[in-house]
Amino acid sequence: MTPDAIPAPGWRLAIRPQAMAQRRGRRLGRGVLGHGVLLALSFVCLFPIYWMVVTSLRPANAIFETTLWPSAASLANYRYTLNAIPVAQMLGNTLVVALLVTAIQLLTALLAAFAFARWRFTGDRLVFALVALTWLVPFQVVMIPNFLLVAQLGLLDSLTALVLPHFASALAVMLLTQAIRAFPQEVIEAAHMDGASSWRLLWQVLVPNLGGSLASLAILIFISTWNEYFWPLLLSRTPENSVIQIGIQMFMSAEGNQWGPLMAASTMASVPILAFYLVLQRQVVQSFMQSGLR
Amino acid sequence: MAMQRRHLLAGLATAATGLLPPRPAIAAFAAAGIDHPVQINFYNYNLATAGLGADATRKLLREFMRANPNIKVNGVGVPVTGFTARVQADLAAHRQVDLIQLGFGDLDFAVHSLGAKALEDLIPAPELAANFAGIAPNGLKLGMLDGKTYGLAYTFSTPVLFYNADLFRAAGLNPDQPPLTWAEVKQAALTIKAKTGKGGLATGILGPSAFDWLFQGVVRSNGGETISRDRKTMKFAAPEAVEAVAMLRDLNDSGAMANLDVNAAMEAMAAGDMGMYLQTSAVQGFIVAGAKDKFDLRASTMPSFGAKKVRPNNSGSALILLATDPVLQRAAWELMKFLTSKRGYTIITSEIGYLPLRTDIVDDPQYLGEWVKTHPLVQPNLKQLAVLEPWDAMPGPNYRQIVKTMMDAVELAVTGKVDVAATLLAAQQTTQAMLPK
Amino acid sequence: MIRRRRWRQSLTPWLYLLPVAGTFLVWVYEPLAQAVWRSFFEWNMLPDTPMTYVGWGNYQNILALPKLWQALRNTALYMFGLLPFAVVAPLAIAIYTQDLPTRWRNLYRGLIFVPMLIAPVVAASVWRWLLDPGHGVVNRALAAFGLGPVAFLSDPRLAIWSIIGITGWKLIGFATLIASAANARINPSLIEAARMDGASGWAIVRHIRLPLLSSTALLLVTMSILLGAQWTFSYINVLTDGGPLGATTNIYYLLWDFGFSSLSVGWSSASAVLLFIGFALLALGLLWLTERVSLHDA
Repeated sequence: MTPDAIPAPGWRLAIRPQAMAQRRGRRLGRGVLGHGVLLALSFVCLFPIYWMVVTSLRPANAIFETTLWPSAASLANYRYTLNAIPVAQMLGNTLVVALLVTAIQLLTALLAAFAFARWRFTGDRLVFALVALTWLVPFQVVMIPNFLLVAQLGLLDSLTALVLPHFASALAVMLLTQAIRAFPQEVIEAAHMDGASSWRLLWQVLVPNLGGSLASLAILIFISTWNEYFWPLLLSRTPENSVIQIGIQMFMSAEGNQWGPLMAASTMASVPILAFYLVLQRQVVQSFMQSGLR
Repeated sequence: MAMQRRHLLAGLATAATGLLPPRPAIAAFAAAGIDHPVQINFYNYNLATAGLGADATRKLLREFMRANPNIKVNGVGVPVTGFTARVQADLAAHRQVDLIQLGFGDLDFAVHSLGAKALEDLIPAPELAANFAGIAPNGLKLGMLDGKTYGLAYTFSTPVLFYNADLFRAAGLNPDQPPLTWAEVKQAALTIKAKTGKGGLATGILGPSAFDWLFQGVVRSNGGETISRDRKTMKFAAPEAVEAVAMLRDLNDSGAMANLDVNAAMEAMAAGDMGMYLQTSAVQGFIVAGAKDKFDLRASTMPSFGAKKVRPNNSGSALILLATDPVLQRAAWELMKFLTSKRGYTIITSEIGYLPLRTDIVDDPQYLGEWVKTHPLVQPNLKQLAVLEPWDAMPGPNYRQIVKTMMDAVELAVTGKVDVAATLLAAQQTTQAMLPK
Repeated sequence: MIRRRRWRQSLTPWLYLLPVAGTFLVWVYEPLAQAVWRSFFEWNMLPDTPMTYVGWGNYQNILALPKLWQALRNTALYMFGLLPFAVVAPLAIAIYTQDLPTRWRNLYRGLIFVPMLIAPVVAASVWRWLLDPGHGVVNRALAAFGLGPVAFLSDPRLAIWSIIGITGWKLIGFATLIASAANARINPSLIEAARMDGASGWAIVRHIRLPLLSSTALLLVTMSILLGAQWTFSYINVLTDGGPLGATTNIYYLLWDFGFSSLSVGWSSASAVLLFIGFALLALGLLWLTERVSLHDA
């Protein structure tokens, strides 16, 4: 689909004269309705997060209160959580893993996407299909074999094992291929004529122009790695070598969830990402708009 | 990968020739002593949580290592859901697993699939007998299978009926005389519901994470059993069991029993919104935290069917030895001995909230004497220790599916509009086919 | 000389592909091949237990499983239940907010995106807390209107919709951004021209925007059909364990339950293979559909 695609011819039929005032009135009514719906939706999106924070501030014997603000707000749950699990270290681990995975996936995807977009070669469609199909392989299928492989490499209970299987992302390859294909061919040809190697073409011509795509992908990869749960759960042996999602899970047990600390840990796990988003909200949304995601 | 492929090939060769790979001989005793430093891996689910359970476990391990300088215990925290799978995955990855804390429902699987060792095979009889002295005989039975001891009860509990004495008073009931039979429980629940508008009764019998331990006790208390003693026939559709389930159905249909999932029920009780709650005493800490300064929380024994004897079984975990090396077996056994010693049970009972299998420490001021005086909630538990029976572990590799199928049928029979006997019978036939041939 | 250069040229793309291809080969396709192989055996993965060849036995057992059909039905329900959150609402929001002043537009789109940032485990436990039949604030609010209590997660008729709702809550912001991006790329002069001709707002949406957004819509449909069942996994795992009475079990959860909880490798491998083939066929069908629609577009 191109932005300038010719619209379906039908729209001309819809033209009919209408009184301006009537239209304006209706538009106003629709505006109120629209804002109402969107405000309600925004509320639904934010309230659970607010509730998480508020619950984390309730003391143990007031945890079931439903007042909008705790009757006796306290930081006891935070103190307890910080004592019970190494929060700072777990957050640090999570950050390292998420940054590494983001950087590596972007790099490998960029290289692969460049290959797919730049050349036609034997088997290119098949390889592309195989890359895309990995998206459909449920992680449950590969988890145990991957676990055994990691164990044989002696990497259990290490951050390396959390990064290693995530060296490539099908989504990143597909999106970047699309983005590079959409790049004006004349520019690429001109660079080629100038004798630029494919390597230089990629880094000096393409990458500087893929800002939006790369930024939005980076955000997506970072978020999903930060939030990853099942693979770390299988690997984790000691809290010191685990990520924050495992820390959260430690407050859930068959003998009753420790809701206060659970919410405190959840809040601490979410704050870095929420803060990042708050500061860069406009850029995040903007990068998605320019990403060529479609 | 290479290793794995070798296993695949080995497996194929085995399949082709029909030869079994050599299994380690089981007749050899564990080493008599330990003269050089060793390390054992203890897979423990309390360590995978944050809180009292983990703190007390670490304390126990520290004390043990101080007393046994040659043995270093590496506690591996594994979440309780998926515990067996993790142990299995680690065994498959050739990790050394020496001692595990495993739910009693998994006992058969531990013996037949994880290679659990019978203590009688490892430890000379006199030493074993000396260590077992002081443990109630029915306590020892909890971890036995086919006549041998595979598990020692570690963190375990009995089902107790928690009740909110304030709600009892508000409903005009006497909190000093809690209901003893199911009929009385139903009456009290309906009264509480009518007078206070709060919930009457919740139980931990049903729900996805409930397993079958509490259900087994209910059926047994009515003179039935879920599986025959020789563990070859499923029996949860026999008349006694049907009658027990029909009673639960009546509790549900009359509105006396609220249909809540395990966590919701626990939280309703802790929030003061529920009159009575039948559940393992292991959740006591959670409910006490909610009740503190809010309401008068008390506990009673599991309800009976009329004049029939209450026959509860335990919930919780056993210590199971998997080590294959004689020296490590000795080290793991030493740790087992310590964890189930008077000192071990004192910490487990007073700091995590489970029960002592050595009942003589209850009145001993050196151990639990003082603690018991200030913790009346433990009384119904202690009373039930004397009549405790084993939680039957379903046999064979499909044991989890058996439990799931049975409990799904029970849940449908209790909460649905279906015929109780027919539903249970159909599920009984399905599960019968899942038993090992 | 020329031949060597050509050889080098044909090698270059593969060099660029190497990291991605290698990763997927080792961590995805090799295990998948193992799964195909193992699906014909019965084995519990332990080093000293035998691996028994059982032929098609595992497949037969799976297809005879009464729960399988319930799980498949639920999987379909999840797929279609997610469409309003993944396609319909995002398109509507994208189109509606496009004409709002920039500040409002960014505010709404920004706020709706926030749930996407929350970890699934956190989202699951927060919603569990909100939806509790007793002390959950949602039921307290309903009670204020004399309604409820609603057992969102333990009523077999409602539980699956609760899970769909929570998954949708996480998803809607992301889908809205994708829809908005596509919508923003529509050439404004087309809209202007239509407006000059006196086309009403609805007519512009109906006859210009929606047709131009059809390929994006199809992408969103594809995503929620192919990945919907995977997205719901964490919530099922944390919130319902597939219950009550199997009402929330989907095909992924069943696979996990049978394979992982007792590590019966044959069972889980066979279901994995069936699953992969099923979804690959579905994907091909959707791809074919997408290509037809984009042809129609151009």
